Amino acid sequence: MKKIFLFIITLVLLTNVNGQVKKMGTSHSQKALICENCHSCSIPTKENPCLRDCPRESIATTKQKPEEGPDIIVINKLKGNQDIYKEVTFSHRLHAEMSEMSGGCVTCHHYNPPGKIIGCDNCHNSSRKREDVNRPDLKGAYHRQCMDCHREWSGGVECSACHQLNTKSPSKEKLITGTIKKSHAKLETPEKITYKTPKAEGKTVVFFHKEHIDLFGLDCQSCHSNDGCVKCHDQRPASAKPKMSVELKHKACSSCHDTKVKSNCVTCHNDKETNGFNHLISTGFNLNSYHSKLSCVRCHTTPGKFTGLNKNCNTCHGTWTKEKFNHKVTGLVLDEIHLEFDCESCHTNPTYAKPECSSCHDDYTYPAFIPGKKVKR
Amino acid sequence: MNKSRRNFLKTSAFMGASIAGVASTKTVKGAPKNILSDDRMGVLVDTTVCIGCRKCEWACKTSHNMPTEPIEKYDDRTVFEKRRRPNANALTVVNEFENPNGKFPIDVKVQCMHCDHPACLSACIVGAFSKEENGTVLWNGDKCIGCRYCMVACPFQIPAFEFDKAWSPDIKKCDFCFDRTKKGELPACVEICPMEVLTYGKKSDLLRAAKEKIRLYPERYVDHILGEHEVGGTSWMYLSSKEFTQIDFPKLGKNPAPGVTEAIQHGIFAYFIPPIAIYALLGGVMWLNKNRKQTEHGEDE
Ligand code: SF4
Ligand code: SF4
Ligand code: SF4
Repeated sequence: MKKIFLFIITLVLLTNVNGQVKKMGTSHSQKALICENCHSCSIPTKENPCLRDCPRESIATTKQKPEEGPDIIVINKLKGNQDIYKEVTFSHRLHAEMSEMSGGCVTCHHYNPPGKIIGCDNCHNSSRKREDVNRPDLKGAYHRQCMDCHREWSGGVECSACHQLNTKSPSKEKLITGTIKKSHAKLETPEKITYKTPKAEGKTVVFFHKEHIDLFGLDCQSCHSNDGCVKCHDQRPASAKPKMSVELKHKACSSCHDTKVKSNCVTCHNDKETNGFNHLISTGFNLNSYHSKLSCVRCHTTPGKFTGLNKNCNTCHGTWTKEKFNHKVTGLVLDEIHLEFDCESCHTNPTYAKPECSSCHDDYTYPAFIPGKKVKR
Repeated sequence: MNKSRRNFLKTSAFMGASIAGVASTKTVKGAPKNILSDDRMGVLVDTTVCIGCRKCEWACKTSHNMPTEPIEKYDDRTVFEKRRRPNANALTVVNEFENPNGKFPIDVKVQCMHCDHPACLSACIVGAFSKEENGTVLWNGDKCIGCRYCMVACPFQIPAFEFDKAWSPDIKKCDFCFDRTKKGELPACVEICPMEVLTYGKKSDLLRAAKEKIRLYPERYVDHILGEHEVGGTSWMYLSSKEFTQIDFPKLGKNPAPGVTEAIQHGIFAYFIPPIAIYALLGGVMWLNKNRKQTEHGEDE
């Protein structure tokens, strides 16, 4: 167990190192990589790279742009005695663009070391009859990559989506060639998404999409790392959609919200559409200009726990003193006289809200009278 | 194909005679051939990658010169509405099961498992089955008398009888593409499968590969290789994300299915009891077997 854990840590570290690598001009053997993570022999060669089975994206990975890859690839490496289908024209760039919206190149190229991207046939044998049965052959590897999305896309497995029978005239290639220069429209983040669920009570779930991104500083990939096209373009009739278990339906939320606890349902499930979370209305604490840009965890440090804090500044900030606090951040520079006083002389309230002038000045109130100069924050 | 009663009598008389004749040398000519080679081949079926495209069904029929619809028609998924079994017109079929915890349903190809200790072979009273060196369990039409004991004996309900043929009905079951493998070709279904659900190789290698898969992806597979131990081991083996009973496989023990019939049958031949007695006895066994099977799987058909 411990060993596995260490291994995973090494992988995570490696990924981080290489996640930053943009494009490597030189051979990856010069990089600070652990050879054994990918190669099983001590001297790997181009002819015999002795790559380990399926390390997936957890090992050395670089990020490329869709334009850096080929526009189209004609897949004709698999020739049999009697071929049923013609060669396949694969619109690589279009697919690379689509992948970029979720997992990136590693969606398919699970081996993506710095340098030239390794094609599938480097590791996957083009002959099905072979000695090493541990890793799928090339035909299997190709289809396993394609079918995950394509099957979801149409709900079926029509071979004709990519293949054309050898007996048919070549119209398919034209169709595919036509899509090559197409690009996907720019993605926009929806403000909110309203779901109607089959739940008897609390049918409506409003997901505040933008708010989640802003509040938690999320990338698209943070949640959409494994999404196929149907995530947005679902053309399937309800009957063709797979039946999902309750767990699966809540999977996207349950990494942060505990969806197993019954009393938590009401957090998201309501009878009517709800408004987004408003910190002032729900908690009485206004996240005004001082706290509006902070992520929740800056204050709510225990994941999933949002209670236990009060409105008093010193709960998080400790006790302010006149030496430690630069009053300018509030938009008010104190004059020389007022600079001498302790904070509490004016701020009698633990929320440090409106100052109290009356202990020294009769008839003075803030903000009619200001103990200094207003400045731009 | 000689199914006539006269031929049957001739065959069994010959078998009986030869057994009696060479009994002292212990090599029984005409008895079922049952070779269990260490190098026997097999297929590992990884049901977690099958997409239910049914190209294996098409390839199987085409390679066996059986009538089939054109390949494009196999995209039709309405066939999955009914649970199917291999039959005289289809040596292999793919069934689909709901999978509430996954993105896709589970598709499972079924065909003869090519058991290491085939019950069909044991049950056959005329030795029409053989276990070949490469693992294939082969049915030989020249010997078959059409008694259909194999159908009853098979724990996977595989052998099918051509009920629609009045004159010379055959037993039909997957032959592991014996004619193709003899020539060094892959079984037709293995060759066509786009996903390489079906991995063809030495049984020992496949077992090792299967164990490695389970070790590497424990969340993907149940820790069970169907066919590693079931009924004494089978050449075709399965990996699954669900318990095998949930994808319609019967629950089976580790012992080769009916050792009983084998013992009875060999005993009978050794003592040269007239075939009419065999009929009576085996009829009883068949009835017993059938009853047992029904209580075991309920309504599977
Ligand atoms: S050809 Fe392969 S993927 Fe298609 S149904 Fe048969 S076993 Fe499954
Ligand atoms: S699965 Fe049935 S038909 Fe096939 S070898 Fe085993 S007992 Fe015989
Ligand atoms: S091995 Fe041959 S006979 Fe058996 S199911 Fe596959 S194609 Fe059909």
